Amino acid sequence: MDPESDAAHYSASLVSVQKEEPLGVSGADRARARNAVPPLSVAELERVRNREPEALAALFDRHFDLVFGLAMRLMGDRTLAEDVAQDVFLKVHRAANRIDPSRDPAPWFTAITYNACRDVWRSGAWRMSRRSRPVDEDPGFGVPLTRGTNDPEDDALASERARLVQDAIRRLPEALRTPVVLHDYQGLGHPEIAKLLGVNPAAARKRYSRALTALATILEKTLGEAGR
Amino acid sequence: MNANETETLTAAESGARDAVRDLAVPVADPAFRARLREQFVTDRFVPASSRVVRLPWHRRPMTSWTLAAAAAVIAVVSALALNQGPAWQVVSGHGAGIASVDGRSVSLGHTGDLVRRIHAGAHVTLPTDSDLELRAGGSLLMQIAPGSELVIPTVPGRWFMRRSLGELRSGEVRITTGPEFHGSRLALATPEARVLVTGTTLAVICDSTGTCVCVLDGAVRVGATGDSMPKVEAGMRAFVYADGRPMVQAGMRPEEIPELRRMRDSRTGSPHAPGH
Repeated sequence: MDPESDAAHYSASLVSVQKEEPLGVSGADRARARNAVPPLSVAELERVRNREPEALAALFDRHFDLVFGLAMRLMGDRTLAEDVAQDVFLKVHRAANRIDPSRDPAPWFTAITYNACRDVWRSGAWRMSRRSRPVDEDPGFGVPLTRGTNDPEDDALASERARLVQDAIRRLPEALRTPVVLHDYQGLGHPEIAKLLGVNPAAARKRYSRALTALATILEKTLGEAGR
Repeated sequence: MNANETETLTAAESGARDAVRDLAVPVADPAFRARLREQFVTDRFVPASSRVVRLPWHRRPMTSWTLAAAAAVIAVVSALALNQGPAWQVVSGHGAGIASVDGRSVSLGHTGDLVRRIHAGAHVTLPTDSDLELRAGGSLLMQIAPGSELVIPTVPGRWFMRRSLGELRSGEVRITTGPEFHGSRLALATPEARVLVTGTTLAVICDSTGTCVCVLDGAVRVGATGDSMPKVEAGMRAFVYADGRPMVQAGMRPEEIPELRRMRDSRTGSPHAPGH
């Protein structure tokens, strides 16, 4: 998908979805807050269009975590996430002169990141790597070394739990993994996810529901085993 | 997901959802982040690894199909090569005349030339004072009487294509099958008859009056060309007339029995160059 059309397509929808889906659940708020990116000003985005180094650096700093985090959660592999991030920023750089300064570029980044991940999933190299590597032996799930608790045992438990959750996400088929990551990790609403996936909102919602059921089943098993 | 849908979640689903929402933002390698930032700001991108760089659409399927086709060809060629039965080898020969193999004159006293030219499908004519004994591994042993003209039968494959074909145009051949022949079929054609062998010792004699098939053991199906092929039991012989009279069966000619027994009992012998 063309980066510019991605922007036009998703930018407005993000705002409208946020209005129609007030998230009263604290977890959802956390998810959205975690990925909230303070938008660049119109003036800064104008400078991005001119590819001024300082403006590009600011754009990078604002959106790198969003891109890398989403890629990590969708791909479940640090190296692949780095490749995806590089691909995304290359595309953004090429399309920088077409950015609409009146719109927040965050949804555009989300769309490009998802599309880059989808391209990897469709590639033969991905299928080959998935066959050749056990899914539960990649340590690169990127939880912070400390969660600020100053309690090594708590940190270790949290780290292990995050690893198991990420592993469970990765065990989902891509069609189910995407809605659950976009909704619960990235904080997107179902209409946005539907547009991203090219399906209607009801289908996106249903897919998310199935994903959550499958994920719960996997987690019940893995977290149960870890607890024993 | 709105509040109503939240209420429909099971405890496990709710827990799974919260587990995903609680995931922290992954921390990238600082060196990678700094390198990518530098590339982004200065527009000096280094190509990503091959896992992300996708080949043009028209090349990927071609590559896959080419590899698949090559693998299939290799598999078929390998299977055909491995399936080939043992080659015919010269066990013994008597006489010093000149045989004809595929239209070329070959001295029966010239061991190397004869061994090199004998093969499945070869058209062989022996002189009237020489005979030849051939063996195909543990599958077939065949004696060719003096003056015979024949097409050497193919050897059955090891696992598939287990049908063997040969032709006796005149003269006599004695054939006995070995343990490796089990499950195979040898179809031998004469000018007026068809002989189907599935595991036996027999002699096929072909002259101007017709074809005589003598069966020492096992069973053979014999019939005139284009006609039904009744079974000929051990100890019996069948005669198919060249002039079209009905095939007759009778007891085996006594003079054939010792020759066939000798050949059957010798089929475990090892091949060697023809003698004089």
